[in-house]
Amino acid sequence: MRKKNQSLVLLMLLSTLAAAQTTTPKIKVSGTMGVNYEGYGLNRNPAGWTGFSQRKPWNQVRFNFQPTITTPKWSLPFNFNFATTPTNAFGPFANIGKQNIGQYISNPMNNFAVNPTYKWAEIQLGTQYLNYSNLSTGDIGIFGAGVDLKPGKFRVKFFKGISQQGINFFSGGPNGSYKRKNWMAQLGVEREGKYELSFNFAKGKDDVNSITSPPPGLKAQEGFTLSMVTKINFTKGWYMNVEGAQSLYTKDLAQPLTNLIKSFKPFLEARSSTVKDYAGEGMIGRKSKDFDIGLKVKYLGAGFQTVGYPFLQPDRIDYTVNTRFNAFKNKTNVTASIGQRVNNVSNTSLRAKQFIGNLNWFSQIDDHWSVNINYNNFGFQSNSGINPYGIKNVSNDLGINPTYTWSNEKMIHLLSLSYNYSKYDERDVLTGLITSNNTHTALLTYVPTYLSKDMTPDFTVMYFLNKLPGFKTSLLTVSSGLSMPAAKKKLQLRGQLQYTFSKNNSFTGNNNFIASCSIDCKMNKKLTWTNYLATNYFKYGNEIIPNGANYLESNFRTGLQYRFGK
Amino acid sequence: MKKIFVLAFSLFLLQMSKGQLTINFVMSATPPSAITSWNDKKEVLSLFVSPAQGIQLTYKIKTEIKLSDGTVIGRTDLARAATYTAASTNTVYYAGDVIPLENMIFTGKYKTGLERTGKLLSDNYQLCVSLVRPTDYSPVADEKCRSFYLASLQLPILIKPSNEEVLDAAVANQVIIFRWSPVVPRQTLPVRYRLNVMEVLDHQSAMQAFRSNQPLLSTEIRGTTQYNWQVQGIINCCSTPLPGDTIIVPIQSASPATLAAGSFKKYVWTIQTLDQQGRALGDGNINGDGVSEPAIFYVSKHSK
Repeated sequence: MRKKNQSLVLLMLLSTLAAAQTTTPKIKVSGTMGVNYEGYGLNRNPAGWTGFSQRKPWNQVRFNFQPTITTPKWSLPFNFNFATTPTNAFGPFANIGKQNIGQYISNPMNNFAVNPTYKWAEIQLGTQYLNYSNLSTGDIGIFGAGVDLKPGKFRVKFFKGISQQGINFFSGGPNGSYKRKNWMAQLGVEREGKYELSFNFAKGKDDVNSITSPPPGLKAQEGFTLSMVTKINFTKGWYMNVEGAQSLYTKDLAQPLTNLIKSFKPFLEARSSTVKDYAGEGMIGRKSKDFDIGLKVKYLGAGFQTVGYPFLQPDRIDYTVNTRFNAFKNKTNVTASIGQRVNNVSNTSLRAKQFIGNLNWFSQIDDHWSVNINYNNFGFQSNSGINPYGIKNVSNDLGINPTYTWSNEKMIHLLSLSYNYSKYDERDVLTGLITSNNTHTALLTYVPTYLSKDMTPDFTVMYFLNKLPGFKTSLLTVSSGLSMPAAKKKLQLRGQLQYTFSKNNSFTGNNNFIASCSIDCKMNKKLTWTNYLATNYFKYGNEIIPNGANYLESNFRTGLQYRFGK
Repeated sequence: MKKIFVLAFSLFLLQMSKGQLTINFVMSATPPSAITSWNDKKEVLSLFVSPAQGIQLTYKIKTEIKLSDGTVIGRTDLARAATYTAASTNTVYYAGDVIPLENMIFTGKYKTGLERTGKLLSDNYQLCVSLVRPTDYSPVADEKCRSFYLASLQLPILIKPSNEEVLDAAVANQVIIFRWSPVVPRQTLPVRYRLNVMEVLDHQSAMQAFRSNQPLLSTEIRGTTQYNWQVQGIINCCSTPLPGDTIIVPIQSASPATLAAGSFKKYVWTIQTLDQQGRALGDGNINGDGVSEPAIFYVSKHSK
């Protein structure tokens, strides 16, 4: 009897639950998935001439699967992106042919991630590109598992995995690498939009025994970075962000342990190839609707290296002041920045200074006219060791872009002229002579927009002239495009034709003809089929041997994209 | 005659007591400034110890690094240095044996600099090497010195397009100007700059694209630090603004934050610096591939 009652209660509960589920949808799916094929072709003439290289893989298929399943309490986002053909040019995977499963999964061109989230708790599985802070970690993808917990104002993050697989080096094959294991953690407190205080830890260590044939010159390494981040937003738009970091980096794990450099146990034990240095970054400023100003300073010590930003260029300090303001009832908008970057800070005799200055001024003069003026200056200056003259390179760019718009009952016309003068001076360190590399670019664009028709053509003429002593290049380009919908707006068509005549010094000119078209088809509310076809024919004059060499490059893309949800 | 014989014999004994071994060493005049990387570069330093003839001898390698005025800034801690036994054939030692960093004592700012950066300050130095007895550190081979110059090599810095710059598609679809700073200090032989540009596809981070995509442009430049890339349709960005699109600011004054979704393309570029033989230049940087810190740029026709 008791069992029967229990069964009855259970049945009633289940039926209530089922009824509730049918009345309101509890599970939602959003996001996208799709597949894309890209084909590339290149015919070079005469046969055997190799003066132009392939710019894309011959065939490539890319898949993306990014749905997010959401319930009232849970969300389950997937992030799968992967391709069939490896195309790595840099890093351990460069030139890799066949990959094993571990290498395929950790190849940066593929991404397999699932991040189930329950209220404030997120579990991170698969390949994750996690950015904890600007000086600890943020640039590397790691395949592994971790959590991101945000209970109240507390922040707890931890992730552990592999950022690169062990790949043996062999001549003509992949660059190769040691297997690198990473972990990262963050502990902190945060009130979104108000303040943040966090401590970040990032560690990476190569597995010395992971490969039998290490790449020449590459040593197994180990790095640990600790950083503290403080962010505060004050009233009236004022803000301040500060980060300080210390790194310990062992450049060769084969070298012996040492007491001469202080270890940071248990995270890293110092060896004779270990370096320890600091970095810091600070920003202070104010943001408002019509006026922003900010000061940014960044210092990276000469020995500061972190596994989370492998390409970070150390030994520098840079500081910039940025501002933006709107004036004359928002009809004028100005952005500007000025600053300096000092490289090789630790080395007084070879310290290099780089001036940075940008100004952009936009004004809407009246209903018809607007003008944009921009100016950029980058100056680089350094001693040059034992050479009689120091290095000095100065880049100046001035651009003026007036635009005139007029309309009638049928059309809106837009005519835009853009002129840019670019001057680049380089000093020879032996003779002290300065070489000027001057470039003029003029671009005229006309875009008529029909108010009663859906088609939108555009016309462009561009002239480019680059001169430096003994060398002159000129280009004249004419192009036109047309966009229009078709088949009751289920198709979106776009075509473009472009012809360029270019000439170097007194050689006969080169001719270039490009045609492209795209057709996007909306199959139904959720499914879109995209297509793109382009061809590029280039024929040289007599500037290269064999004279008259030419190539025909073609590019074809087609893909289906499905959108989940309503 | 007897006096001459006695004098010659005395000189011989003196010589025997001072140096029973002969050393010689070759060293690069401009080694990498990252002294921690010398260990794995045999071309930096090779010390040759001649064979001991019929004597059983042990020794330690005594090394001193001096400034050009003779001030010693680093020396071997002989108490901790390894002891070697003279062999009957020529013995070759490399930087890891001659300058074992775990047993070297540096002074003042050189010590601090080395701990922080793994490099010695840029200057002219002398490396002096001798062999000493393990017991009383008396010399068993004459000291030999070589001069060298250290200059901290600095890879190019990307100047144009600057990081996160937005380029007008109308121009960028035709030609893009790239500029970068030269390698510092200027190398004796011209270096080779390899310019690489990769497209950042949807769903990719810039660094992911950099490490996985085939470069749209990969070209080598010598002797100058500017390149005008005739794009020839490979960028093909983007559609002309449609009547419904709102254009607030022209593209020249746009920032990445003001670009509407789907209205731009994103690229990452860098310079790889190689020497005449095609070997990557670098100075103990993590990757050792001579690659400068990459920069991102955007190509767009209109901003929201």
